[in-house]
Amino acid sequence: MDLGTLIAAILTLFIFSFLYKDNPFYKFAEYLLVGISVGYFIVISIKTTVVPKLIFPVFREGDLLCLIPGILGFFMFLRFFPKLAWLSRISMALIIGAGAGVSIPAMMQAQIFAQMKASMGSYASINNIIVALAVITTLSYFFFSREHKGALGTSAKIGVFFMMLFFGATFGYTVMSRVTLLIGRAQFLLGDFLGIIK
Amino acid sequence: MPVLPKYMKLNLDRRIIFILMAIAVIFPLVFKLGLPNKVTPEVKNLFGQMESLNDTSVVLISFDFEASSFPEVQPLANAILMHCFSNNLKVIGISLLAEGTALGEKVLKENAAKYNKVYGKDYVFLGFRPQVTATILALGEDFHKVFPEDYYGGSTADLELTKNIKNYKDISLIISVTDGDIPFSWINYAVARYNKDLAVLATAVMATSFYPFLNSGQIKGLVNGLKGAAEYEILLKKPGMGARGMDAQSMAHLLIVLLVILGNIGYWMERRKK
Repeated sequence: MDLGTLIAAILTLFIFSFLYKDNPFYKFAEYLLVGISVGYFIVISIKTTVVPKLIFPVFREGDLLCLIPGILGFFMFLRFFPKLAWLSRISMALIIGAGAGVSIPAMMQAQIFAQMKASMGSYASINNIIVALAVITTLSYFFFSREHKGALGTSAKIGVFFMMLFFGATFGYTVMSRVTLLIGRAQFLLGDFLGIIK
Repeated sequence: MPVLPKYMKLNLDRRIIFILMAIAVIFPLVFKLGLPNKVTPEVKNLFGQMESLNDTSVVLISFDFEASSFPEVQPLANAILMHCFSNNLKVIGISLLAEGTALGEKVLKENAAKYNKVYGKDYVFLGFRPQVTATILALGEDFHKVFPEDYYGGSTADLELTKNIKNYKDISLIISVTDGDIPFSWINYAVARYNKDLAVLATAVMATSFYPFLNSGQIKGLVNGLKGAAEYEILLKKPGMGARGMDAQSMAHLLIVLLVILGNIGYWMERRKK
């Protein structure tokens, strides 16, 4: 067994110890995870972004245009200094403006129009009829300009039924996901660490 | 915190549930039960699409996950990489999440080694790029501008696999192995704008978010969680981590269903007593 496996197994057991009750071993493993994650993110960001996109172009290739995003990025850190914090708003304005400009048309096309088209497609199959019914009744639940009575009330109630189905399916999948994480760790402990299973 | 009515308090120590869950998971892992597992159409679709690619096809696999979900995404990544390498497809690995970089590289290298694949010719790993939207959009314009170098510092213009890749036109399929919502960005930008085929291999918790896009045809294939990995392994006829874990998954689900039923019976009996 290599040292990495041993450390991983011990840290897994530290985390599992929380199932009995909160304790210093659990806290140590938790803080270690947070610290390493942040440290790793900083190192990777510097290695893959700051160095090849800012340092090398400016100092090796003399591309001074790259200083503009570098300066705007630096402005973001000025939020920590109240007197200069206003400068960070310039960077934020650019991020929000460009971000919204790029994402709004794309999201409209991919998530609204394409989904509407799919919901209004061929109704030859029972599945498509159910999808269309679910879309209409769920939307009717979120129509608040009229009291939910009569036909609108019935439609909204059916919409609630479909939403409950969605929440139930999502919760089921969430349970499945969490159990899988436990299985993964159990496979590691029983296999790589203890060698009981192959 | 809201105070529960007395009749809703069932005095079962939660640690008993943890022990039962541990038994439900460990027992099937040690003593294989071989419970049946049926392959779903969405997994078959992706498998069929992968089979239709030939040995000149380039697949872009984006490892969009973090360490905390690695036990769930690892069987998915293994299954798709086994399929790629066994069919001699070319693989380009990237990561849009920093934590996915080292893990993605590990999975890619391990699977490539199993099939004796050569780095630079059969597969490459380009590493992490921040700002998901900018990266996905820029890949559609100029691949080498986004990734002038691979993860190890080599020029992508010199690598046999990447030297002729200009943009999405030279990539047959994009696969996002994910534990979060990054596939939405792939759908918004690579699929909607560049009309690129996308498949998603996601943790089960994200499954319901992606089904509408599978239904609309914006996603060509969807494989979810450990069950999806096990189904893919069945199609590959290579049982691996997914198939091994499915017995434990089924037993754990059975236990949860039993506990929910028992809890409701207890709740109902307590209320009746009142």
